[in-house]
Amino acid sequence: MNWDKWIPLMVVASSLLPGLIIFTLAEKRGRLRTTLNLLGAVVKLGLVGLMVWGVYNEHHYETRLALLPNLELVLRAGPLSLLFVTLSTALWFVTTVYAIGYLEGSAHRNRFFGFFSLCVTATVGVALSGNLITFLLFYELLTLSTYPLLVHRGTEAARRAGQTYLIYTLFGGALLLLGTVWLYSLTGTLEFTPRGFISGLGPEHNSALIMIFILLIAGLGVKAALFPLHGWLPKAMVAPAPVSALLHAVAVVKAGAFGIVRVVYDVFGVETAALLGVTMPLAWLAAFTIIYGSVRALYQDDLKRRLAFSTISQVSYIILGVAIAGPIATIGGVVHLVHQGLMKITLFFCAGNLAETLEIHKVSEMNGVGRRMPWTMAAFTIGAFGMIGAPPIAGFISKWYLGLGALDAGQDWVILVLIGSSLLNAMYFLPILHRAWFREPPKQWPADHQFGDKETAWALLLPPVVTAAFALGIGLLASLPFTPLDWAKLIATREFYQQ
Amino acid sequence: MSAIISPTYLVLLVLFPLILAPALLFRSTQSIALKLAPWAALPVLLQVLFVAPTVSLHLPWLLLGSELGIGDPTSRLFLLFTALLWWLAGMYARVYLAQQPRRVSFYLYFLLAMSGNLGLILAQDVGSFYVFFALMSFAAYGLVVHERSQQAIYAGRVYIILAVIGELALFAAMVMAVSATNAMGFEAVRTGLAQAESRDLIILLALIGFGIKAGVIGLHVWLPLAHPVAPTPASAVLSGAMIKAGLLGWLRLLPLGETALLQWGEVFMILGLVAAFYGVIVGLTQRDPKTLLAYSSISQMGIMTMAIGLGLTAPNAYPMILIVITLYALHHGLNKGALFLGVGVIAACHGVQRRWVWLGLWLPALALAGAPLSSGMLVKLMLKAQTVNAPEHWISLLPILLSVSALATTLLVGRFLFLLSKPKTSTNMQGSALGLIVPWAMLVVSAQVLPWWFAPPSSITWQLTNIISSLWPVLLGLALIVASLVWMRRRQRQAGMSSPQGYENSDFTPHIPPGDLLIPLSHIFIFVYNFTRRFSVYLFPRWRDTCLAAFKRLWSGITAWRAPEQIETRLAHWHNGLLLFVLLGLLLAWWSWNA
Repeated sequence: MNWDKWIPLMVVASSLLPGLIIFTLAEKRGRLRTTLNLLGAVVKLGLVGLMVWGVYNEHHYETRLALLPNLELVLRAGPLSLLFVTLSTALWFVTTVYAIGYLEGSAHRNRFFGFFSLCVTATVGVALSGNLITFLLFYELLTLSTYPLLVHRGTEAARRAGQTYLIYTLFGGALLLLGTVWLYSLTGTLEFTPRGFISGLGPEHNSALIMIFILLIAGLGVKAALFPLHGWLPKAMVAPAPVSALLHAVAVVKAGAFGIVRVVYDVFGVETAALLGVTMPLAWLAAFTIIYGSVRALYQDDLKRRLAFSTISQVSYIILGVAIAGPIATIGGVVHLVHQGLMKITLFFCAGNLAETLEIHKVSEMNGVGRRMPWTMAAFTIGAFGMIGAPPIAGFISKWYLGLGALDAGQDWVILVLIGSSLLNAMYFLPILHRAWFREPPKQWPADHQFGDKETAWALLLPPVVTAAFALGIGLLASLPFTPLDWAKLIATREFYQQ
Repeated sequence: MSAIISPTYLVLLVLFPLILAPALLFRSTQSIALKLAPWAALPVLLQVLFVAPTVSLHLPWLLLGSELGIGDPTSRLFLLFTALLWWLAGMYARVYLAQQPRRVSFYLYFLLAMSGNLGLILAQDVGSFYVFFALMSFAAYGLVVHERSQQAIYAGRVYIILAVIGELALFAAMVMAVSATNAMGFEAVRTGLAQAESRDLIILLALIGFGIKAGVIGLHVWLPLAHPVAPTPASAVLSGAMIKAGLLGWLRLLPLGETALLQWGEVFMILGLVAAFYGVIVGLTQRDPKTLLAYSSISQMGIMTMAIGLGLTAPNAYPMILIVITLYALHHGLNKGALFLGVGVIAACHGVQRRWVWLGLWLPALALAGAPLSSGMLVKLMLKAQTVNAPEHWISLLPILLSVSALATTLLVGRFLFLLSKPKTSTNMQGSALGLIVPWAMLVVSAQVLPWWFAPPSSITWQLTNIISSLWPVLLGLALIVASLVWMRRRQRQAGMSSPQGYENSDFTPHIPPGDLLIPLSHIFIFVYNFTRRFSVYLFPRWRDTCLAAFKRLWSGITAWRAPEQIETRLAHWHNGLLLFVLLGLLLAWWSWNA
C-alpha cells in the first residue's frame, strides 16, 4: 500500500477524529478528553515529522480525492506547506497543554475542545492544500470552527464579538469564492504551481487578473487583518487566552497571511504579479497596516488589546516581505511566519497567565508583577524584545532579512517602515517591562490564586517558557540547517531560481 | 595547541559573566554567584595580557554567522582597559554594596552589561557587534535606575529612549552597509563602504547611532542625567568603558584609512570641538561632582570625535591616528574611572584619610588636563603631532584649540577637586574604607602607567617645547582657579556671609540643570506626544463614531427598503396574483406571435 498517498489525509484526520469523539463524550470524562487531545497532538506531530523526513528524502506526499468534475481535493506536502503545518502542529500541542490548564474547572469543555480540534484540522488542511479550491474549503471550515471558540464564554460582549467576526469573515469568504471561480473560468485549473499557473494567459486578461488579485487579497486580508479589514481582531480578545493565542499566532491570522503568500507565489507567481503592478500597492497597504497597528497599540491599556494591535502590525511584515518581489525579502517574510507565531503565542500565554493567576487584565495593574511571576515575565520579556527586533531573538532575524531584501529590490523606504515600527514597538513594550520589573508591587493583587510554591499551574507555566526558549533558540542558532531560516531560504530558492 | 585553544577560551571567558548572570537568580547558586560576580572580568584581563596578538574564532552557526576574536592591537588595548575597569569597579562594588538589599539586581545588570561590553570588542562582524552592543545598552538601563529614586527613573527614561533610537539608527546603518558591500565582516564592509552609493547616509546613521553612545553634542543629554544617579562603580564603567563602545563602533564601521572624506571629516571635527568646549562650560556650572565628571566625559569624547574627523580627512596618516585614538581612550577611560571611584571613596573617608585620598585624586585630575609627565601629556602631544595632517585651514587652528581645551579641562578638574574638598557631614558607609581605597588606588596607578607602557617607542620627542606646551595650560588654569578662589573669598567677606554653611552659599556660578538641551526640547516632545494621544484616544474615535452614526441614519432613512416588503404584501392577495399571471400569459402570446 502506498502510504505516501494517505499521509496528508491522516495528518488532517488525526485531529478531526479526536474532535468528533470529544463532542460525544460526557462532560465529566475529563481524563479521556485530555488523553484524546494529547494523543491526537502527538500522532499529528509524529506524522508531520515523518513527512519532513520524507520530503528531505525525495518522497512525494499527495492525496487526491474527487470533489467536483475536473476539480479534486488535493493535499500536498511541499516546503511552504511543511513550514506552516509544522508550526501549526507544534503550537497546537503547546496550546492544548495550556488550554487544559487554563480551562480547569470551567463549563462546556467538551464543546471547547471539540471545536478546538476542528479548528486545527482546518488549519492543517489550509496548510497542506494543493489547490485553491481545497484551500477555500478548509478556509471556510476554519471560520466556522473558530466562531464557537470565540463565543465560548457566552457573555454579551462575546456574542457581539462573534457577530462582528462572522460578518467580516463570511464577507471575506464570499470575495474569495468569487475570485476563485472567476480565476477558474479563465484558466481551467487551480493547482498551486511554483511561479504561478496564470502565466499562460495573454495580456488581454490583465485587467481581469488585477480584479481577481484584488478579490483574493481582500478575501484573505480579512483573516490576515490587513487594514481596513482588521476590525474584528481587537474585538475578538474577549475569547479565552488559549483561543487568542491560537487565533493570533497560528490559526486564523496566519492562515490569512499564508493564503496571501500562496496567492502571490503559487497562483500568480511573483514576476507576473510584479508585471501586473499589483505588488507595490499591496506593499504600501502592508506598510500602512504595520504603522497603523503599532500606533493604535500605543494607547491601549488592556493588555490583550495591545497585543491584538501588535499582531495586526506584525502579520503585515509577512505580507510586506512577500509584496517586495525579491528573494531575500521573501526569506524575511516567510520566516517571519514562524518567528512571529512563536513570539506572539508566548506573549498571549503570558497575558493569559496574568489573567488566570492574578486577574490582571490591564497594563496599569502590572506594577511589580515580575516579582510575583518571574518565569512568566521572563518569557514575556523575551517575546517583547523579539517584537522590538533586538538580537539575538528571532524577530531580529526576520527584520534583518526584510531590510536586506528591501534594499536588494530597490525599495529603500521599507527601512523607514521597519525602523518606525520597531520604535513604536519599543514604545509600547518597554513600559510594560519597566512596570513589571522596576516598580513596586501593589499591596494587594486583584486576586491571588495560589498554586503551591510555583508561581502558577504547570500547564500554564511550561508553554510560554518553552515557546520563549524556542524563540530565543531559533534566533541565536539561525544559521544552523533545519531552522526556519534555512527552510525559508529553500522556499525562496524554489520560487525564484529553480526551473 | 595554544592557537587552537586560545580563541575558544577567550570567547568563553568573555561569556563567563553572561553565564554567571542567570546563576544569580536561583537561590541554590545565588551565594556563589554573588561571590564570583565582582571578579568576573579578571579572567579576561589575564587572558588578554597573555594571549597571542591576533586570534579569531569563526562561528558560522551563530546568529547570521559570527566572527569573534582580537583582530588588531586596537581591539587588544580596548579589551585591556575595559576588562581592567570592569574588574576594579567590581572589586569596588563588592565593598560599596556589601549590605545593600538590592545587590543581586545590581550584579545581574552589571554582569550583563559587562559581557555586552567585552563581547562587542571581540566582534569582528556586523551582526555579533550589534548583538553585544544591544545587550550592553539594555543592561545598562538596570544600572541607571538602580536607586529607584525619581531622578533615577527619569534619567533611565531619557537613557532608554536615546538608546533605542541609537539601536534603530544602527540597525539601518548596518543593514544598508551589509547590503551595499555584500559582506558581514568589518574589514570587508569598511573597504566596500568607501565606494558605496549610500555611503553618506550610512555615515550619518552611524554618527547618530554611535554618537548617542559616545555623547556627541546634541545627542549627549542622557550622560549628565545617568551618571550621577547610577551607583558609583556603575558610573565609573559607564563613563570609562561603555561610552567608548560608541567610539569603537566608529573605528570599526567608518571607512577610515580607505579614502579621504573631507566633508564628513570636518563635520566630525566641528562636532568634536564644540563638544570639547560645551562640556567644559556647562560642567563648570555644576554643583554635583559626578555630573561635572559626566560633562567632562562629553568634553573628552569630543576630543576623540575630533580625532576621528582627523582620520577621515587624512587616510594616509590613519594608522598613526588610530594608535593615538586608542591610547587616548585608554588614558581617558582609566583616569575618568579613577575620578568616579574617587568620589565614592572620599565620601566614605574621614579626616586624614580623606585628605590623602583627595591629594591622590590630583593625579588622575592632572592627567586629564595633560600636565607634564602624565599620561595626558603623552596622548595630547601625540594628538597635536597628528594635526599636521589636517586640511590647510585647520592646521594652524587645531593645536591652539587643543591647548585651550587643555586649559578648559584644567579649570574643570580644578572645580571638581574644589567640590570634593568641601567637608562632608554625612557618610553612608560604615566599616572599612580600605576595601574601597585599594581598587581605586590600583586604578589610579594603572591609569598613569599603562598609556606610557603601550605607547609605541619614540611617540613624542622629549623637547622643551613639548614640555612647555603641555605645562602652560595647566599652570594658567591653576592660576585662574586660585585667582577665582581668592576673589570668591573676598566676595564672601564683603557680603558678610560667614555662617557655618558659608561654603554652600558661596557658589556664585550660574546654575544650568543637568541635561541642558533636554529641558527645552522635552517640552516640544511632550507637546507632540500629548497631541497624538489626544488625537488617537479622543478625536479619531469621535470622528469615526460621528461618521458611522450619520451613515446609519442615512441607511435607515432610505424608505426604499420597505418597498420589497410592500410588494410582497400586495402579491400575497390572490387577485393580484391572478392579474399577474394573466399579464404574463398575454405577454407570452404576443411574443410567440412575433417570433
